[in-house]
Order: sequence, then structure tokens, then C-alpha cells
Amino acid sequence: MIVPCPNCGPRNAADLHYGGESHTRPDPNSATEAEWRDYLYLHDNPAGWLRETWYCSTGCRKFFATERHTVTNTFRNNPLPGNKSAGGQP
Amino acid sequence: MADLTFESPITKSYPAGSGDLTLSDISHTAKVLVRADVDSPAAQTLAVGFGSLRTEGETIVSGSRPDEWMILGTAEGVASIAGSLDTNGHVSVIDWTHGRAMFRLTGQAASSVLEKVCSLDFSDNMTPDGAVVSASVAKVSCDLARNDVSGSPSYLVLCDRSFGQYIFDTIVDAGTEFTISANA
Amino acid sequence: MSPASSSRLPEQDGEVIDRSSKVRFTWNGKNHSGFKGDTIASALAANGVKVFSRSMKYHRPRGLLTADFLDPNGFVQVDDDPNVRSGHRLVEPGMNVSAQNAWPSLNRDIKAANGLAKRFLSAGFYYKTFMKPQKLWPYYEKVLATFAPGGKVDLDTPHGYHDKRYAHPDVVVAGGGPAGMQSAISAAETGASVILVEHDHQLGGHLRWGNSDDLAALADLRSKVAGFENIEVLTNSTVTGRYEDNWVAIVQRNHPLAVERLIKARAKSLVVAAGLVERPYVFAGNDKPGVMLSGAARRLINMYGVKPGERAVVFTANADGDALVDDLTRVGIEVAAVVDARSGGNIVEAKGGPKSVTAVVLGDGSTVKADLLLTATGWTAPTSLLNMTGDRPAYDAATARFFPVAPPDNVLVTGGIAGDGSLDVMLEHAAETGRLAAGRAATMAHQFQSMTARAADMQGETPAFPNDDRTALPRDEHPALFRSTTHGIVDYSEDVSSKDLISAAKEGYDSVELIKRYTTATMGPAQGKLETVNTVAVLAEHRGETIAEVGTTVWRPPFAPITLGALGGRIFEPERVSSIHGWHEQHGMVPILAGQWIRPEHYGDAAAEVRNVRNNVGIIDVTPLGKLDLQGPDVPKLLNHLYTNKWSKLAVGSVRYGMMCAEDGVVLDDGVTGHLGDDHYLMTTTSSGAGTIWEWAENWLQTEHPDWQVHVTPVTTAYVSINVAGPSSRELVGRLCDDVDLDPETFKYMQVRQGTVAGVADCIMWRIGFTGELSYEIHVPAGHGLHVWETLMDTGKDLGIGAFGLEAQRIMRLEKGHFIVGQDTDGLTKAPTVQMDMLLKTDKEDFAGKAELVWSMDPGVRASLPVLVGLQTTDPAVVPEEACQIVVPGTNEILGRVTSSRMSPTLSRSICLGQVHPSVAAPGTKVTIQLVDGNRVTAMVMEHHAHFDHEGERLRG
Repeated sequence: MIVPCPNCGPRNAADLHYGGESHTRPDPNSATEAEWRDYLYLHDNPAGWLRETWYCSTGCRKFFATERHTVTNTFRNNPLPGNKSAGGQP
Repeated sequence: MADLTFESPITKSYPAGSGDLTLSDISHTAKVLVRADVDSPAAQTLAVGFGSLRTEGETIVSGSRPDEWMILGTAEGVASIAGSLDTNGHVSVIDWTHGRAMFRLTGQAASSVLEKVCSLDFSDNMTPDGAVVSASVAKVSCDLARNDVSGSPSYLVLCDRSFGQYIFDTIVDAGTEFTISANA
Repeated sequence: MSPASSSRLPEQDGEVIDRSSKVRFTWNGKNHSGFKGDTIASALAANGVKVFSRSMKYHRPRGLLTADFLDPNGFVQVDDDPNVRSGHRLVEPGMNVSAQNAWPSLNRDIKAANGLAKRFLSAGFYYKTFMKPQKLWPYYEKVLATFAPGGKVDLDTPHGYHDKRYAHPDVVVAGGGPAGMQSAISAAETGASVILVEHDHQLGGHLRWGNSDDLAALADLRSKVAGFENIEVLTNSTVTGRYEDNWVAIVQRNHPLAVERLIKARAKSLVVAAGLVERPYVFAGNDKPGVMLSGAARRLINMYGVKPGERAVVFTANADGDALVDDLTRVGIEVAAVVDARSGGNIVEAKGGPKSVTAVVLGDGSTVKADLLLTATGWTAPTSLLNMTGDRPAYDAATARFFPVAPPDNVLVTGGIAGDGSLDVMLEHAAETGRLAAGRAATMAHQFQSMTARAADMQGETPAFPNDDRTALPRDEHPALFRSTTHGIVDYSEDVSSKDLISAAKEGYDSVELIKRYTTATMGPAQGKLETVNTVAVLAEHRGETIAEVGTTVWRPPFAPITLGALGGRIFEPERVSSIHGWHEQHGMVPILAGQWIRPEHYGDAAAEVRNVRNNVGIIDVTPLGKLDLQGPDVPKLLNHLYTNKWSKLAVGSVRYGMMCAEDGVVLDDGVTGHLGDDHYLMTTTSSGAGTIWEWAENWLQTEHPDWQVHVTPVTTAYVSINVAGPSSRELVGRLCDDVDLDPETFKYMQVRQGTVAGVADCIMWRIGFTGELSYEIHVPAGHGLHVWETLMDTGKDLGIGAFGLEAQRIMRLEKGHFIVGQDTDGLTKAPTVQMDMLLKTDKEDFAGKAELVWSMDPGVRASLPVLVGLQTTDPAVVPEEACQIVVPGTNEILGRVTSSRMSPTLSRSICLGQVHPSVAAPGTKVTIQLVDGNRVTAMVMEHHAHFDHEGERLRG
């Protein structure tokens, strides 16, 4: 899969670290145990657009957030033409 | 005071070769790393954007990351540019001479050699002369800079010092089919 | 004296052999000869060989079926190379070729007794026979191994050189027949870079065995292709896989240096022009030697000048079968009968002996004598590459084949897979395809360039992504011919008959996925290209459904089998060494691989190294220790956030130990951090954590606290780190260092200084003590590391200096009770377990892992967390293996485990660290350890982690 790094440009996914679903860190002082564990372990895992983090570990060494469609692996920012698979969405 | 020579990470020796394609160990090159915000006075002095390099005499100033630059060259040349930087504000200047192995790969087949060990597109459109990129070379993160010499394609390869011997040998191996000669 | 070339024809117009160049080889020990350009199969066929192999299960004699890459009957052993495709491999002088899967010989194969026992060898017999009694399995294994197919592997065969490379072509064309060639030409005309891949030895596809018009078109296309510098032609190579975003794997078999080269290409457009594969017909006797497909006969005749037989029956349903009749007549093969399926004709049985067909029974009941039965009953589209894109091709009943439905925009189909037509019609479609592929590639190239930081300056606007306005190819009707009125072989290489398929379906394996796996049909070397449609047709017939309703299995990479050498023969395995590595090697180091680092485990006697450090002085190379340079006014904020303890008041010149937790409260890493100067700190991490912690720090700085002004720079290998340890360490370091006051009152334990060592400026010196001895850790700019190391060794001779390795260090740290993250802690170990509560400053506003730490320190929760304790076995000579379980005596209930264990040279007894349940963690408690050999021993929980000098007097000296 090609991942569009905002700094380096299109790179093979193997050249980056996947950071998983983006999540907002709760306040550790006021969060309940359930809220904290939700942040740690539970993912929405949609078959659709997902906001996620990537770390360009072999390139610019920057973290970035992006949106990817989990069925077609299309990226919303910097979509590549010709990326669609049959039966998928954008 | 002992006469201190710089110990290169390349400790093997290689048979002398002839031909257009060469890989040279230049790890002793002085290197300084500068971290600063893109709109800082230091960045203005360095005057080169991310992904590019410029030369000032024998010294190369390269934009290696969005907020990071490398100054490469002789000890005097590098010191003079590093010393001219306005370090007010949040600016870090780190001596990188010892921490990085550095090689120069020159020749018509240089990009074909790199193509065997790195998945980047080395065509003139994507990596023209003056381009600076960072990528995985044989599974090691390296900084690459294209800096043609006398019209011959030429690339600088920098990696963490401890991987130096491995990367050097990997490039020599990849270059065998193009009759590369190694200078170490 | 080689057998007469009884079956060689006079020169044919399109032949690919060079009759001036004779090639001598052997077949089953007998001398044969062929010509340069012959495949093994064509050379043997030219010499009258009819039987090439024995089938896998039933050991039936087999002849050529397709006489090309896919021939299922043509697998042979060539010298030490097993499973060679004789229909593809070219003859070479001196080759020794032999049959596989036949004993004692091809002709008198005793294993053919299988045929007599056929009714016991039905489908799925692997799962049914040789099952009980189970204890006889080793014997069954031996028997099965003798009867298993496949050639012989010589374990001493040299591995050969394999290779790989990356590529970024605009267009990859998979298939070098007329459509593929024309696509490549039209794409190249626009300036695109093209890689044209053809798995046979020459470009040309079916034109190569065609008529004079075909040969003329072939010559024209070939010369056009050759005229383009931007077309890279790879023959004898296969596009073997297509992955996301057109990541294409190409196996190149014609590389001069490498046995096989794997090319990983990021193609902007992929053109699939893989052509059509002729399909066999299923009927009784369809696997007898002399029964072959029309293409096989035409290839043998036209490409190799070989007469496949004397008297032929042709069963034809299409124009290629008709063209075959012309070819046969032209070279003087008697055409005994032409049976035309289009007017209702059929063939029912091939009769004959084990060596050859002798007669054919037709649908009308008549029998025709013949030694050659040729079928042209239809085509299968090899759509695997398209399946790999996620497309599911659909069956078109009128044409009796599958067509692609909707591949992604960057994959275009042309040639036989896309439809039918005259050569001109096909070439026109291919030309449109090539232009479209190149146009789409140009848009993508522009886009890639615009996204990349310093690509060449963009020329103009990004061109719009071209629409697919190609005229679709027509589809010619074709009779649906799969199985005659009799039963025959469906999968030749797996020896699965239509009867086997039906009995499997009757047993309940009646879906296409189940029947495939149960019978192994389509799982052979052709991977379904010859078998899938017939398999589906037989199953559909049995179920009373259509082929479309039954569906097909999923095709996955590789398209053609690929050697392990191509996939793994050129692995990149980075190695890291320090500047002292050469010295270590010369001084007898026994290496150990620690992550990617090669380090000295010891130099011959670890126990002696320990004693020397405790009594005199030793040095160890700890360069892999993670080191992060931290600069900026907000560094204390970062330290407070990453570590569990407090850092705001650490004075310049002071060092503090810290522990880090992940957000789930699990111990992540530990190390010391020193305050070097204004806004300047140096953090150390564990060696294995160096990269992880750097990324961890960057993550927090970039995603949660971009407002903090901190620069983190890894300097792990910018310094050679040498730990000088032992009672004489101060004396030794003092001899090499003039500008740092080493007086213990001035330079105390847990402090850091910068100075000159052995003439090298800018060294950093720490007084810390992992080993528990008085020690100075010197960080030397790496380019002078060896100099300092050698100077220390030289200068310390009279002090008894000796180098020590990782093993001695680990023994000493264990004697001192210093736990190692990842050894004494694991992925579930929460911070309270390590019993260092003074580090857990939960009154800090926020830090990584704070929430979980607070909850885990609640006494109710803590009562269920394991406790890290020191352990000593009752018998001092017993050294429990690490990871031994601690159990409740008399039961198998687990209470904990031993995490570190060594024999201590200092105490002359074994020492351990372990994690135990809180109920047995009190000092003085007796616990039971189960050793690996099953014996159980007792041990005592110690008061401290340290087994020696618990007060740390040596360290602080």
C-alpha cells in the first residue's frame, strides 16, 4: 500500500509505522477506569473512513494524522487516481 | 598529546578497481546537525528548504527534515557556517561527525545500484540533482543526497555509524554486476 | 549412438530451433540429441519419445499434453534440479535428464500397481488410508515418501546467486503475445517507460505457431518493440503477483548473473495481456500418451519441427482446431477423422495400451484407428492477476469462459482475456489500451511528483485522469465442452478424475472450495489454469446448477510457482558493530547477537572476568546503550512526563535514575539521565529500547505537546561508551584525564562531567554503577573510541585491567539486584511489581501511565500484582534455568517464575530474581521451583534484590 506522507510524498507502507486509530487522550486525573481502558484498548474499527496516525520512521520522522478508507485503502487527503478496487467506495 | 586520527567505521579493505562506478568512504567528513524552527533566523541563514541541498564552496547545506539541516564538509567550512548561525531561541547545534558513516556513490550506474537496495524512485523527475531524501536502504534508515559531480550522477549516503560497514558492503555487493570499485 | 531423429520434420518457417547447433544430453541414462532452442520435451519428442512420466497417484504412463510451460505431464529431474518443466526448459549440452516418480524405471514402474488398486485410492485417500493404528505412522511415512511425486533434492547443491531489485515503470505489461506487444509499443510511443514481461522464451504468444500471416505480423511487432529504448523486455520471466497500488512482483529467470531475480515494481499502470489457455476435454482415456491439445501439436510442428504422431483424429470446436488440420496436412500427418463439435460430433474414449493411443471411439459409436488424438475444445482465461486486484470474474455461458468484471482503474485488460476478434481488431484494442495505460500513468506520475518534497519542478498542470473510452472487444460464441459422456482425468498433475470429484461431492465436499481442498484438484503446478473450469463444470453438473452458480475458488499469488531463492535468497539482515569490534574479535570474543548488535558475550571465561572487575578493574564496551541528546528550555517537562519520578530540580552535573511506563502502567524502559548544562541533558535508555524510546518521546512531543521546546537527537553511536569498573577504576581514569577532578568528594556517585580523556576532548564521564562497583562510564566521540579503549588497556596493565563482556556484566548486575526491563519484567508487568515505589511520584500533575499506576497502587489491586524478589536456592550449587516456574508444593499451581538466574563467582553460590505472587513474597518465605528436567527444588525469598553489597558501599566509594 502507498501511504502519502505529507512531507516525503508517496511511500511504501512498510517504510512507516502505523499508529492506529486516532484517539483523544482523556485527562488522567479525572478519567474513570472504563474511559481510560476505552482509550487504551477499544477501537471503532469501521469498514469505512478512519482517522488514524502514521509515523514516517524511515523518512521525515514526523507523526501525521490522515483519513483512510479501510475497505479500499484510499487516503482522503492526497488520494491517488486509479486507487479504487472493484466493489469498493471512493 | 597523541596524534589522533579519525577511526572510520569502514575497517575492511577492498581490491583496487577501475571504471566509472565508485563507492568511497568519506566518513571523516565533518558533519553538523542543526534543529530550528522553519521561520527562525538560523533557518534564514541556512537558506535551503526541506528536501534540497545547496553548496557553498566545498560545503554542502542540506535540508534533511522539515526542521532539521545537515552541514557537511571540511571542519573549517562546516564550523564557519555553523558558527554564523543565530542561536537565539530554540536552536540546537550538534556535532554529528562521529555519529554518521558517510559514503559517496558516483557513476552512470549509480541509480541502478541504489535501485537494488532502496525502494525509492531515483528517476530524474523524482530525485533530481540537489534532492535530499531519507529512506530505508537494505532495511537501515539512511539519508541520501544527490550531488552530481562533473556531470556524473553522484549520491551521498549517510547512515548511523554502527551500520556503516554493513551498508558499505551491501552497496558493494549490489554494485558487483556493474563492476563497482570500492575505496575505503 | 543416439536414437534416430525419427520424428523431426524438415525446416518450418516459424521454427525457433537452430539446426546448425546440436545439443547432446541424456534421458534416463540414454544418449539423445536435439538442437539449440529445443525444449527438453521437443527434443525428446523429436526422437520419438512418447512416455514422459508416471501420474502422481495412479502411476499411469503420461505423454505431452500441452508441450509448454503448463504441461502437467512433463515434469522431469535435470541433474540436481527437481520438478523441471520439460515443456519449457531449453536443452543444454551435457544435461542429464531423468523421469520422476517412477521405480524402477519409467517403463516398468512397479508403483503402477496403484492402478490395479485404484478403487482403494479414491479421492481423499490421504485422509482415509494409513490412519490406524496411529503408532505405525513412522512406517506409513516411509511408504508414502517412496510413492510421493516430485524429484530428488540434493542437500549439497550449491545455492546459486539470487538477487532482487526495485523498479518504477510507468507501465508493466504482463504477457508478450500480440496484444501485450502492441500495448507496450503504444505506451512507449507516448514516452512512457514500459516493462514487458513474457514467461516464454520469445515474445509472440500464439503468433509463433501460426500461419504465414501470423509470422509476418510477429516479425513486425518484434522489430517495433526492439526499436524502443524505453521498453525493457523480460522473457522467460513472469508477473507473479499484483498487490495493492500495483505493487507488482516479477520473477526474472533470464538474468545473466542470478538464478532468479525478484523485481519489485511499483507500476503506475498494469496491463494484463496474459492470453488464453487451452482447456483439455474430459473423457475416458484422455490421459493416454498421444492425446494432446491442439496447441501442443501446433507448437511441436511449427516451432520445433517435430511430428507428434503419424495418424490423427481431431476433435475441434473452433478456428484453432481448424487451423490445426491445415498444419497436420501440410507436414504429412494423416488426418483420419475430423470430428466437429459445432455440428454435434463428440469423442467418447481413447483406447490403447500403456505407451500410446491406438484408436478413438466417437460419439456415434464408430471407432477410428489413430496414434494421435488432438482436441480443440475451448479456452480458459487465466484471470489470476485480476483476481488479485479483488475482481471476481464472471462466467459468460455463450462463450464458455470467464471474463473480468471491474478491475481497479490502474489495471487494464487486453487480448484474449478481454474478448475476441481478428488480429487487426485485437491489435487496435491493445493499442488503445497501451495509450490509456500510459495516459493514466502520466497523471499518477505528475501526482507523485507534486507530493514529493523535492521532485523536479512540475511542468504544467496535472493532466486529467483519462476515461476508459476503448471500444469493447466482441465475444465469439463457443460451444460449452467440458466433459464427454464418459469419465476421465480432470487434474492431470494431481491425478484427480471426474469420478473422484463426484464421489467427493457425494461425501459432502460439494462446494467448490471444499472439493478443491479435499481432492487437491487445481492445487498442482498449473494452479488451476488447466483444471478449474472443468472441475467447476463437473461439480455444477452433479449439483444440477450452472457454472456461474457454482463459482470458482480464489486465485492468489504466485501466478506461476516461484523458487524460495527468489523470495528469500537476498535477505537484508543489518548488523551493527561498535568501533571496538575489531579489537574484540582479535582478543577472542565469543559473539552474541543482541538485537541487531554483535557484542562480546565474554572473552573465554566470564567468571574470571567478574572476579577481575570486583578485585581490580575491567572495561566493557557498552556503546549500544541508548543515548538521546535533549536540548531546550522544556526538557524537564519532557523528563517529568516520560519518567515516573521527578526531574525539575536536577542540578547541572547531576545524574538521576528513572523508570518509564507505558499508558497501561506497564514498565517500558529505564536508565539514567544527566543534566549536562543549560537546557542540555543526556538521557540513556536500555540498548534494546533506544529506538523505541526515541519514537516514544517524539510521539509525545509532536502529537500531545507541540508547544514544548525540546529537541531530541539520538546519539547512541556518536559515542563509544566504555564502562570502567572496579576498585582501581578511579586510579586508572585519573591517569588518562587531566581536566576533571576525580576526588570522590567533588565528583560524587550519580554525577556527570565533561572533559578530555586520553587526549580526546568532549568526552562525557558518568559516575554510575550497573555492575555495583566503583565505575566511570566514559562516552568518547566514536571516531576516537578505539584509541581510548586501547589506551585504557595499555595504561591499566599494572592495575590488572581486563576486558569484560555482557555475560560478566549480567552476573554482576544480578549480584547487585539491578533488574533488567524485558528480562525481569514482561509485557504485563506494572510498575509496582518492581518494588521501587520511591520512583512512583503520583503527585505529579501528569505523566505517561499515571492513571493506571494510581489504580494499580490501590492496596486491593496491588494484592493481585506479582512482586519482584531476590531468590536463593537451598542448594547453592543448583542454578535454576531462567523462566522456571515457581509452584505450590505438591501441586501444579503456578505462583511465579524465575526471571534471572546465574552462578555468582563473588558469592560462590547461585542467585536469582523472580516474580512471585504476593502471598509468598515476604522475606524468608520458602518457595518451590520446578526445574526444566521436572525436579523440584526449594529456594528462599531474600530481603533485598541485591545479593551482595546491598548498601552500595563500593558504588559510592
